[in-house]
Amino acid sequence: MTASPPPSPRVDEAACADTVARLRAHREPRTLVVGNPNTGKSTLINAVAGTRLKVGNWSGVTVEKREAHLKRGEQTIHLLDLPGAYSLSPHTPEELITRTALLDEAPDVLLNVVDAGNLERNLYLTLQLLEFRVPMLLALNLVDEAKNKGLEVDAAALSQELGVPVVETVGVKNIGTAGLLDATLSRAQIGHPLRYPEAIETAAADLEDKMAALATLPPHAYRYLALSLLEGDPSLRGRLSATGHTPLVDAADAHRAALELGGFDPLIEIAEARYARAGDIARRAVPNAELKLTLTERLDKLALNPWLGIPIFLGLVLLVFRLTFTIAAPFVDLIGGPLQDVASGWAVSLLGGIPLLKDVVVGAIIPGVGTVLSFLPTLLVLYLAMSFLEDSGYMARAAFLADRTMRGLGLDGRAFIPLILGFGCNVPAVYATRTLERKSDRVLVSMILPFMSCSARLPVYVIFSAALFPKAGAWVVWSMYVLGMAVAFAFAWVLRKTSLPAEGSGVLLELPPYRFPAWKVMWTHAARRTASFAKRARTTVLATVAVVWVLLSIPAVNGQKFGEVPPAQSLFGRASQAVSPIFSPLGFGNWQATGALVPGFIAKEVVVGTLGQIYLGEEAKRAAPLGLVAGLQQTALSTWEAVKTSVQALPTLIALPSLGADSSAEQKTPLAKALAKAFTPAAGLAYLVFVLLYTPCVATIGAMQAEHGRRMAWMTVAYEMGIAWVAGLLVYQIARHFL
Amino acid sequence: MTVSPSDVTLSTLKPGEAAHVVALDSKHPLRRRLLELGFIRGAKVDVVRLAPMGDPVHLRLGNTDLALRAADLVGVTVRRS
Repeated sequence: MTASPPPSPRVDEAACADTVARLRAHREPRTLVVGNPNTGKSTLINAVAGTRLKVGNWSGVTVEKREAHLKRGEQTIHLLDLPGAYSLSPHTPEELITRTALLDEAPDVLLNVVDAGNLERNLYLTLQLLEFRVPMLLALNLVDEAKNKGLEVDAAALSQELGVPVVETVGVKNIGTAGLLDATLSRAQIGHPLRYPEAIETAAADLEDKMAALATLPPHAYRYLALSLLEGDPSLRGRLSATGHTPLVDAADAHRAALELGGFDPLIEIAEARYARAGDIARRAVPNAELKLTLTERLDKLALNPWLGIPIFLGLVLLVFRLTFTIAAPFVDLIGGPLQDVASGWAVSLLGGIPLLKDVVVGAIIPGVGTVLSFLPTLLVLYLAMSFLEDSGYMARAAFLADRTMRGLGLDGRAFIPLILGFGCNVPAVYATRTLERKSDRVLVSMILPFMSCSARLPVYVIFSAALFPKAGAWVVWSMYVLGMAVAFAFAWVLRKTSLPAEGSGVLLELPPYRFPAWKVMWTHAARRTASFAKRARTTVLATVAVVWVLLSIPAVNGQKFGEVPPAQSLFGRASQAVSPIFSPLGFGNWQATGALVPGFIAKEVVVGTLGQIYLGEEAKRAAPLGLVAGLQQTALSTWEAVKTSVQALPTLIALPSLGADSSAEQKTPLAKALAKAFTPAAGLAYLVFVLLYTPCVATIGAMQAEHGRRMAWMTVAYEMGIAWVAGLLVYQIARHFL
Repeated sequence: MTVSPSDVTLSTLKPGEAAHVVALDSKHPLRRRLLELGFIRGAKVDVVRLAPMGDPVHLRLGNTDLALRAADLVGVTVRRS
């Protein structure tokens, strides 16, 4: 290690005064919030901005953009929270966003969030940030956690060393957050930038002079740009070359070549100088660092144990699903059953005079949209549980445990997490692919995700196995899950060999310390994700349901009235009959089965609903009118029942779930009887395989389109239709000889 | 710190062993990232444990816990401490 050079005394007083004056004049000073991943930045920002935090996406990329406008006295502050970054040489889309914002967003202030328990590594980014001529304020976060580790950080000494004010904060407990904003504005300072070995300083000064002569680059970034070019940062070279700064890049390359000729690698020298300085500052600010055995280490002895690690992981996954289904199921039944009945009753009372409107609301919109909305409780609980595992630091451990298994597909352990989520619901799972670093990995995992059998497909399996395989129902359900996984991995392997080869190599995971997540942050994340799902129910699903209803109402035979046709003679029925020969080789060439697959596109559980509607006639239209008071009473009663059932189910969480649990109960239902007549066992099996593998639901396609674009989403739809057809054909043609 | 014949690659260390970084292969796919996370000459690395199937490897560098695959540890030369 080289001795650290003394802190540079060349604080540009004039520039400082200038910037502070500019801040005062500027009506909405732009504060960029920067920090390493896992420094508690999200919690801190939530504490500061709370509900005023607006979340969107950065244009063109699916990385969260979080901003807030806050009033402080007469001034409005524009707060822009940037994604976590270890450094400013971008390795992930998140880090690229952070750097681009620092270069382009004309920041007035930087709010640098630092983990007090990991000062040395966090200071690496801090020293890089000090290379921008922008006033900075340092939030020394998680001081309580550091104290528990035995680390007592001297904020005054840290402030002295860096030349910027330091505010101690604990985001979770809201300590130090109130004064943070005032401090950001009034006290932020341009700190002491690090001085590098002379050879690098000379080269950097020359590049800065060249930039000053150009007047096209932002002056606050000259020093950062010069040093990054000397480090040979490939993405920055690309960006500058593309914007007509090739002479600058060439000059930097010449400097680099000259330095390397002298046995001096600027990349290593700069990193070493920063760490030497960071270590030096850390020693001054944390004089008697003596680490205690932390909770994290004790937990990891269990969670990452060679023998217990995987069983614990599987146990946790099981617990999440049990939690999701047990806690949420009564509310799903509530929304799908009693609440829909009440809504139908009211609709009949209100719209009784307009039969057509009544029919579309009661017969299509309430059951269609209602079914989709009935999944909201499941999703909310699933998202909360997943947020807990993510924010607590466990997900990184799960990735560590799964890495070896995922390697065969050129993926790393992190890819395992979205796949597990896919068993709950494919939609959040597609969004969870954001945690993967490489674009090709995100696309690959999204494309195989729909094969992971989501919970919406379970009702279809359950009713078919009850109807056709009363003795082996559990095995049928189980084999659907296994088949889905097998097809997912096989398809991934094919994609890797053909259109999506693995990019790059090298896998690095950080295992952050375990933390108890902030309830507020978990809740905001989960509520936001659930709300975006509900939004789709209002738009896409509503539209599709209405279309299916119209198609079921249009008579295809002369002499019948709109809305009064038996399903088989409706346009829907006739169209299904026309398409059904395609499925004859798969054993289920009847129009009812084929027709039900179409609305299954909206949500797979609708397959059961549609089969019910077709086979069992038009019960939905028979809803009775209901008064306001009676409806409210019924709602309150059913809600109370749901809460009671949910709470009573809690003690059963640790019990093992039984596969196809409800099959005996479903056995006697009229629909099961009708299915037993309409399908042979082999045809039923082929139908289930088709339902498992054919196009993902509209919500999943929407998520894919949002993440990876329209083309990829529709390609997946096409591939999966093909695979489902071939798999259904194989299953039927083989199974019919045995069943 | 220059490479000496007694130096080994990080992949040869067993759980519980510690070493100091001597050099980082110039072609290492994670070179830049490793430098930024503190794999600089002289830095102390502890091998904490291996994942259940022997790979990846849980390392500790200062106060940071990391996991790297054994294949990526080959490019890191260390001196046992």
